[in-house]
Amino acid sequence: MTRRRRERAAVPDPAAFPTRSYDLVKEFTIALVVVALLTAALAAVFSSPDDRPVTLASWSRADGADFTATAAAELGGTSGTAEYGPPYNHTPGAAQKLGPLGLQSAAGVRIPIDTAEDFVLRPLADAPQPPVVRVALAAWAAAPAARQQAWTKAYSDALAKAPGGDPAKVTGGGFGPVPVLVARLLDMARSGALDGQLQAEGKFYETDYTRPLLFLSDGSYLETLARAQHLGGDQWGMMNETGDYPGQAWLWLYTFWYQIEPFKSSGNADALIWGLMALLSLGLMLLPFIPGLRSIPRWTRVHRLIWRSYHRTADQPEGRDNSPG
Amino acid sequence: MAVTGMPRGHALAAPVDLNGTGHYVHWGVIQLSVANLVVIGVMVVVFVLALLLPFPGGRR
Repeated sequence: MTRRRRERAAVPDPAAFPTRSYDLVKEFTIALVVVALLTAALAAVFSSPDDRPVTLASWSRADGADFTATAAAELGGTSGTAEYGPPYNHTPGAAQKLGPLGLQSAAGVRIPIDTAEDFVLRPLADAPQPPVVRVALAAWAAAPAARQQAWTKAYSDALAKAPGGDPAKVTGGGFGPVPVLVARLLDMARSGALDGQLQAEGKFYETDYTRPLLFLSDGSYLETLARAQHLGGDQWGMMNETGDYPGQAWLWLYTFWYQIEPFKSSGNADALIWGLMALLSLGLMLLPFIPGLRSIPRWTRVHRLIWRSYHRTADQPEGRDNSPG
Repeated sequence: MAVTGMPRGHALAAPVDLNGTGHYVHWGVIQLSVANLVVIGVMVVVFVLALLLPFPGGRR
């Protein structure tokens, strides 16, 4: 206690230090101009990533088998989106938890998506269709849920066994109207109509890509493209870029946790890492109150490097000069 | 130099084209792009310079 009092007494009064004028507006203006010039120069020299967009049309043209298998899964409600849970649907047990806290469920279903209805049936129903497709839509609507599930399961299994997943080489039966519906959806996707259907928001400018992107991400085509560009989630950084463009590397800590156990293999990784980062952020905010950690600046003595000119003279017994570095 | 076959907008293309195959560093659990590594290096250099460069107007 006595020692602490002595240390406190040794701290000089800040008001006793000499002062000098400092133009904050001038510094802000200089920083703004420098950053603006730097941004313009770097943009002129390096430009920006210029990859062709991946759309439902480009996917269905490049890999019709993958599109067909994904469409069958969307229709049967067995795709990744169909079983994701909140914010898209109420799949039991799908939501991530942080201990007893169901964070994902707490946010609720804010973007309700019924993959069969939204990705397959409504786009087909909203477009002019030949009689065979209209009959297939009516047959699907009239069938009980269990039969619909049996049709899509049988067709998905048959597609998995067909050489190259080619719908033309599927053998067997018991698929109901599924092959007709999925084949017509493939045609619509190849024509580009499905991209427009899934984006339709009733606004002049269509900016919501949630539905087409979810449909795309349920297939393996987009993931294959992403992995080829090291964008499969195993590269450090929150949002990495294509080619040799840098991303947000300074967000490395958030993605670091995904690379190590127990987070790497956990089904609750998102919730656990969010909780961990919230805890670490809280620690950073409360740093001045945490014994030991708050003393790191005094141990590292970086401040003496910044204010080295002051300390050079202040540490001498005489001839004190208080001007900063 | 033949103009035929040039991509549209080539005349306005950036002098340094970073599109194409990226370069990556893979070391244990660490996998990051060379581009990100360069940005991290620049950030470290700027930090060290901020520590070491004399404060403007400091020597009066």
